Amino acid sequence: MSKRKDASGVGRRGFLKGAALAGAATTVAAPLGAIAQPLPPKRLKAPQGVSAIQKAAETGKPAQIANLPQGAADLVAATAGSDFMVDAYKSLGIEYIASMPGSSFRGLQESFINYGKNTSPEWLTTLHEEISVAMAQGYAKVEGKPMLNLVHATVGLQHASMAIYNAYADRVPICLITANVADATLRRPGVEVDHTVQDGAIIVRDYTKWDDNPGGLQHFGESVVRSYQITMTPPMGPTLIVADSSLQEDPIPEDAKLSLPKLPRFAPAVGDSGAVAELAKMLVDAENPVIMADRGVPGPNGVLNHLVELAEALQCPVVDIGARMNFPTQHALNQSDRRGALLSQADLVVGLDVTDLYGVTHAYRDQLHRTSRPMLKPGTKVVHMTAADQFIRSNYQNFQRFTDVSFEISGDSAATLPFLLEAVKKALPNDKKAAFEARGKKLAEARQASYKGAQNEAASGWDITPISTARLTMELWNAIKNEDYSLVNATQPGGYWSHKLWKMDKYYHYLGDSGAFGVGYGGGGAVGSALANRKHGRLSVSIMGDGDLMVSPSSLWTAAKHKIPIMMVVHNNRYYFQEVMHLQAMAERHMRDPKTANVGTEIANPNIDFAKMAGSFGVEGFTVTDPAKLGGVLQQAVAIAKRGEPVLVGVVSQGR
Amino acid sequence: MRGGIVAAAAALVMLVAVAPAQDVAAQNAGGGQQTAPKGDAKAGQQLYASIGCWECHGSQAQGGAVTGPRLAHTALPFAAVLQQLRVPQNAMPPYEPASVSDEDVANIYAWLESLPAPQSAASIPLLNQ
Repeated sequence: MSKRKDASGVGRRGFLKGAALAGAATTVAAPLGAIAQPLPPKRLKAPQGVSAIQKAAETGKPAQIANLPQGAADLVAATAGSDFMVDAYKSLGIEYIASMPGSSFRGLQESFINYGKNTSPEWLTTLHEEISVAMAQGYAKVEGKPMLNLVHATVGLQHASMAIYNAYADRVPICLITANVADATLRRPGVEVDHTVQDGAIIVRDYTKWDDNPGGLQHFGESVVRSYQITMTPPMGPTLIVADSSLQEDPIPEDAKLSLPKLPRFAPAVGDSGAVAELAKMLVDAENPVIMADRGVPGPNGVLNHLVELAEALQCPVVDIGARMNFPTQHALNQSDRRGALLSQADLVVGLDVTDLYGVTHAYRDQLHRTSRPMLKPGTKVVHMTAADQFIRSNYQNFQRFTDVSFEISGDSAATLPFLLEAVKKALPNDKKAAFEARGKKLAEARQASYKGAQNEAASGWDITPISTARLTMELWNAIKNEDYSLVNATQPGGYWSHKLWKMDKYYHYLGDSGAFGVGYGGGGAVGSALANRKHGRLSVSIMGDGDLMVSPSSLWTAAKHKIPIMMVVHNNRYYFQEVMHLQAMAERHMRDPKTANVGTEIANPNIDFAKMAGSFGVEGFTVTDPAKLGGVLQQAVAIAKRGEPVLVGVVSQGR
Repeated sequence: MRGGIVAAAAALVMLVAVAPAQDVAAQNAGGGQQTAPKGDAKAGQQLYASIGCWECHGSQAQGGAVTGPRLAHTALPFAAVLQQLRVPQNAMPPYEPASVSDEDVANIYAWLESLPAPQSAASIPLLNQ
């Protein structure tokens, strides 16, 4: 490491450059104290137990500052604690920050942009913290690693909180920073006092994996690396660090001995080898096994990589619950449409990181007296392999109802599958081959019948207006089917039709839901996923709900500002449609007027012009009401997105 | 709160997918009135829209993704439709006579019967790629 020439930080920038190139898995452990040589005149050692501002006043200045007129030298500093904080994040290879500005992290923001040269991570501007976090969630679903969000103290974190809950429930990694002025005597009167807090992380502690409030820079650096390790360990989830303003803005103490710890290589927990061998035998012995896959690790390391081979070895049906792209949609063993029939006959059900195992194995009746009944016959064995049980918080109940499982294997399903596959291959007796082939043949026939049924279902109402959701989805498929596409998110009907009729066989062909179904994920999530897909040259498309987009419409501006190509197809049914159905049901249940379900649920009169709205954000927009014209407009939109620009197509559509 | 509502709806969707309405209705049709009373299709169309049938079954009764089966040009007997409305076997809301009379149901049924048969998937290129 080169020695620092002066206090301008040249030497430390050299260190930083090395750190930035090092990436997440490489050592960045050069102690800053070894680099920063004491400069004349000799500085006073910062006394212990005083505020950071006092420390700065008592600490000497470098020559370039010392030559300033009297008084001025006391107003500036050549280093800042936030520079070291930037070093810490750069050492992890984080590519992007999405943030709405906030004065509580002004020191960090300035350091990321000037000291850090606004690269790796690059600063992306959002107009709402909920969008910032949704972008990070969408990004993580593609890349399988976190990006960074800075959210303003108190109010910014309050804005971000729903999106953080979505990400937590979706089990995706995000690194978050909020800020605070812990010392009440340093708070600027008025607004800053409103924006300070005793415990900055408490409002999201129920749905973050870990948080910390470092009291010093070395502590901060270690916590950054720890936060990355924790967020990336299955079950993944957001982590949060509170960056005190003084720690950000004050100069790095001359006697500071700072170093950044290595980010270790880490392997996720896999299921116990004995348990895996036992499960392999159960799968081989079962007459009617069913595998269900749902919310394993996001990104390229998911279960898709080995599940096909496992299913083919066993000729076993797979039901993709759909939180990730878990199994090729057109594969003969994809039996997602036949869950009810398969479960009723199953003697073994194996769940892979299923979010709501109880829900998908029971039929629920939402009437005045709510009831549920098991879809499984008595005696069916249920095995659940999941990492989710390794981290459960009590308050928010997204862990769902307790399920009667015969055998729980604690471990990340994607990491365990290769071992399970190997064990199954060893356990496969030759005399089972014919039986397995016969089972596979039956399943293929059922799959074909199911596909034909879906085609017929989609044909119903093909030419009607408002445009049918099947027509919307299939016109979109026709426009993108020859592209390297990524369906970054979809409304329920869009997901329904695309999974039945599109060819999806790569993990990024479908990126799943919002996690906790907090409305407003769509816009930010789509832009975040598109940001990640951009460098891979993929065409990102979204089937976006009108109600969802109106929670975070300014996500379009962020896409335009940062030239993020996303093709948003708005499924504009002019309602909060789920809610209109619920309200209808309540009116009928209470034997009251059923004609009022539009009150409070309708997003019409006036109708929202999504094309105009997009235009106001700098995004080209189209409106389509005629089904015959939809295909042509979508082709135009594909061309725009392929030029690297965002584009919106508002499609006035059926509700479902 | 919003998430909770959506999650509840997801459960509804699951049940409908497992027990399609037409199957249940058909099972309950036995013994009921097999011949539809004469109805006013135009009045039925208006009722279909105003009382909310369209929400789950589509504006042209073409069916909704997951929420409700196609009813246009239905082959279900009137008695099955009436039975499903009064005592739904799945998560469909119950429509009691106070809000939808038998005559109203007959009108709706007349409109459903008047709708064209579904288009063949084979005739739609985009569904045969």
